[in-house]
Amino acid sequence: MLARPVQMKKISLYMVDTDAQQAALTLARMQVLHPFNDRLQDMEMQEYPANAYSELYNSLSNRFTKLSSGSGQKFSDPQDLTSIVTLQQIQLLDEELKDLWAIVSAMEERQRQLSEKLNATQQLTKSLQKFVSLDLDLSRLKRPGRFLKIIVGSVPSGHLAQLKRALSLAEFMIESFFSAEGIDHVVVVGSSQQQRDMQDLLKSADFREAIIPDEFSGNPAQLQADLAAQTEQIELAIRGVISKREQLLSDLAPILQSAHELLLRARPYASLALVLKGKGGLVFLQGWVPARDQDAISLRLQQDLQFPVHIQFSKPQMKEYDTVPSLLEHHWLLRPFQSLVSNFGLPSYAEFDPTVLFSISYILMFGMMFGDIGHGAFIAIVSVFLWKRYPAIAIVGGLAGLSSTGFGFVYGSVFGFEDVVHALWMSPMHDPEQILLLALVWGAVFLLIANLLAILNMLSSGLVNEALYSGKGVAGLVFYLAALYAGYQMMANDRAGWLELSLLALPMALIMRQLWRHSSANLFERTLVVLIESLEHLISSVSGTLSFLRVAAFSLNHIALAAAVFSIAAMMGTTGHWITIILGNLFIIVLEGAIVAIQCLRLEYYEGFSRFFSGTGKAFEPLKLGDH
Amino acid sequence: MSHFRSAYLSTRLSLLASRLISFEQLSSLIELELDQIINRVYEWTGHRYQPDVHDSRRIENQLAHTALDDFQILIRPFSGPERRFFYFAIRWFELVNVKVLIRGKFTSTPKSIIQQQLVDLGVFADLPLEKLLETEDPYEMLRLLESTAYAGIVRQARNVFDEQGNDLFLLDATIDKSFFIDLKKRLEGLDAQDVELVEQVMGSLLDRFNLLWLLRYRFSYGLSPAKSYFLLTSTGARLHAADLMRLAKMETIEQLVEALPAKLQQQLQGLTVISDIEQVIEYSTLEVAAKGLSRSGNLVSRAFSYILLREAEMRFLQALIKGKQLGFDQELIRLAVMGAR
Repeated sequence: MLARPVQMKKISLYMVDTDAQQAALTLARMQVLHPFNDRLQDMEMQEYPANAYSELYNSLSNRFTKLSSGSGQKFSDPQDLTSIVTLQQIQLLDEELKDLWAIVSAMEERQRQLSEKLNATQQLTKSLQKFVSLDLDLSRLKRPGRFLKIIVGSVPSGHLAQLKRALSLAEFMIESFFSAEGIDHVVVVGSSQQQRDMQDLLKSADFREAIIPDEFSGNPAQLQADLAAQTEQIELAIRGVISKREQLLSDLAPILQSAHELLLRARPYASLALVLKGKGGLVFLQGWVPARDQDAISLRLQQDLQFPVHIQFSKPQMKEYDTVPSLLEHHWLLRPFQSLVSNFGLPSYAEFDPTVLFSISYILMFGMMFGDIGHGAFIAIVSVFLWKRYPAIAIVGGLAGLSSTGFGFVYGSVFGFEDVVHALWMSPMHDPEQILLLALVWGAVFLLIANLLAILNMLSSGLVNEALYSGKGVAGLVFYLAALYAGYQMMANDRAGWLELSLLALPMALIMRQLWRHSSANLFERTLVVLIESLEHLISSVSGTLSFLRVAAFSLNHIALAAAVFSIAAMMGTTGHWITIILGNLFIIVLEGAIVAIQCLRLEYYEGFSRFFSGTGKAFEPLKLGDH
Repeated sequence: MSHFRSAYLSTRLSLLASRLISFEQLSSLIELELDQIINRVYEWTGHRYQPDVHDSRRIENQLAHTALDDFQILIRPFSGPERRFFYFAIRWFELVNVKVLIRGKFTSTPKSIIQQQLVDLGVFADLPLEKLLETEDPYEMLRLLESTAYAGIVRQARNVFDEQGNDLFLLDATIDKSFFIDLKKRLEGLDAQDVELVEQVMGSLLDRFNLLWLLRYRFSYGLSPAKSYFLLTSTGARLHAADLMRLAKMETIEQLVEALPAKLQQQLQGLTVISDIEQVIEYSTLEVAAKGLSRSGNLVSRAFSYILLREAEMRFLQALIKGKQLGFDQELIRLAVMGAR
């Protein structure tokens, strides 16, 4: 019930540097090592022997990714995962992929240039439609004049105004004759003597001169035909580049497959670049491994490595807890709940893993708040259909549905009908007070468990003072029990005397003392902080318990909603009556079901987890083979 | 914006403004040792910087981070066009990265060196820096950049590169020009009252850029008047299109300073070195921004003014701390930070 993350041990490996790659590969295949770099240890080993390897690996990996993303190729994993990859092998393949990528990149650049050219030609074609009616010999514009220089072309519309003014400084003029899609098609006219200045300026303005072939002597209509041919040629060239690239990438399939295999085996050693330390032919590797794998690791390393290896296992010390990763292992049925816990945070190594407790309480609360045989069964059946596509939702939905069905029997409710099945206990509507009281008791038990877990978590982390005197510690627990007793006395016997007050005051005094000791502000601020935080503790104890009244409120709400549906249905004819019943029930299942699911999660996170669970754990991320 | 948000933002702006380092304070830092500077800056701004003796880039990143954190706090209450305007304005910082990347790739600088020069922009980062660093030639990088929010700016840069060859100064100029044109366009989306007040501050900024680039184009790079004028960005508050066209025709720096509108001419009288003019005109822009920040009422113009002042403070501190780290002479640092006047 109260699981902890899997017990870890620190592994320290001293080995000959030529064995380091094999050790990385063996450990990666076992998926048992979470490497870490303890900066304080082995200060004299300041070399990082895997650095050069890692850099080359990254370079190869990048080139492989770029080439393979263009090829769309699917890769198969190698049969042999045991042989290591040498630096030279990576180097050779990296050089090869470098050359290949240069070819592919040049093709992509060519394609881009052609696309741009195509765009410009299409723009020009559009602009020349303006000239068609003029029947003007455009080739005259190309002929160099003795005094006058005329150029036709296009310029981004955003540049036109400033270009106009700039050209006027060079005694040129520019006129736009057609504007579309952010491009202005223009004629530039000025003195032939100033044309060098002008052309330099036009280049800066992203001016594209209209391509009018020298031999061309036709009118705009003929030029249109020529441009259409040009467009076709460019499109053909683009298709040619694309097909060439595709062909090349397809020819590369065997090289990419071998790069994939090589990267897969090279990754473990490359990923140790920052943690593998060494000096003078000796290397040192450290990390966390599951304690249960200790013997298997020793055996495999002794078998696989060529030279003797020194392996040392040690239990994590309390001061190291921050670096120990958390590995959670649960039955497949509980894994979706583990994900919901992880949404809040991962338990740190010293903390209890609340997954089991969370799963049970969540399912129970859902059933209590949404108790109905029909609705529960409906949710469970729908969940079965979701199993293939959304297994996690199917598990949570299925269990919640079954819980709802179970509580439906307890309440005697089927699709909102209260008189079809005999209640094993009673319908919440028959005695709301009792249901509310039950919810309060449930809340109090829930909070007491949360408080106990908080104490245990603090003790595990060595925070003894906090565990004894803080609001979340023993003092807080005693205060809460005293508050429950005082509340009971007031409700049952209508009195709260000195005994109750003393029981409340004593733990509160301890809590205040602890708050005082933790504050380092000046006297006034310190007093203020202690008073406010004590008050906040008092209020949160009460509000936390009252928050669980929603468990009862939703069970009553469920019946009230069903009653509303029946009232509306009663106003209809026979067909309308049943349609209303069906739609009303669907409405309850979807809307209220979703609200109840969220409310349960809210109670778990804010009333439960926030009291005992820091969620600051680090996930266990074992050294693995590559995943290209 | 609701009254509550306005009140919050106004208070926040006043608080942030009170932490800006004044010109006099900055001047007093130059004589201090590095440790003392760090402590004094902490007293004034609440930011504790930790310079690394082995890595002077670290302090630059720290200074940029704290400035960006302040901007984030400031921008959060804005919404709609105002928010978009500020987010775009802060792209100025990322343009520094764009320039570093383009420059680095075109000069075949090793990846590790380019990486050191990049600033981590945290939540404001839009560029896929890792992917960009992994590109193997400038054209591959430009293709990748064209798939980012900087596509327009990069396209301009590519055209300049295609036409002018490996001219990095023109690339920088083109990137700056495109940025300011786009920033001014985004200004048009704001309320008329905001536009008027922000334009006063932005106008001064644009004047500064236009005058400096004009001086560089004409007298450092020897470009023609027409091209020099064309490469300038949107017009500012005091230097209108006609003024800039007239100034572009001047043959010497002295003539150009003489031909400036009266107030500017008065400020720059006697200066013949571009870097001196740069510093005087920068302080003039910052004075306008300081006035904009102290002017109560318009939150957009105050926030924009704050961003300008904070960015300048960051640059000044970077120059000062880097100068101290590298053991430069006090006078040299003073010249770099405060200028000739």
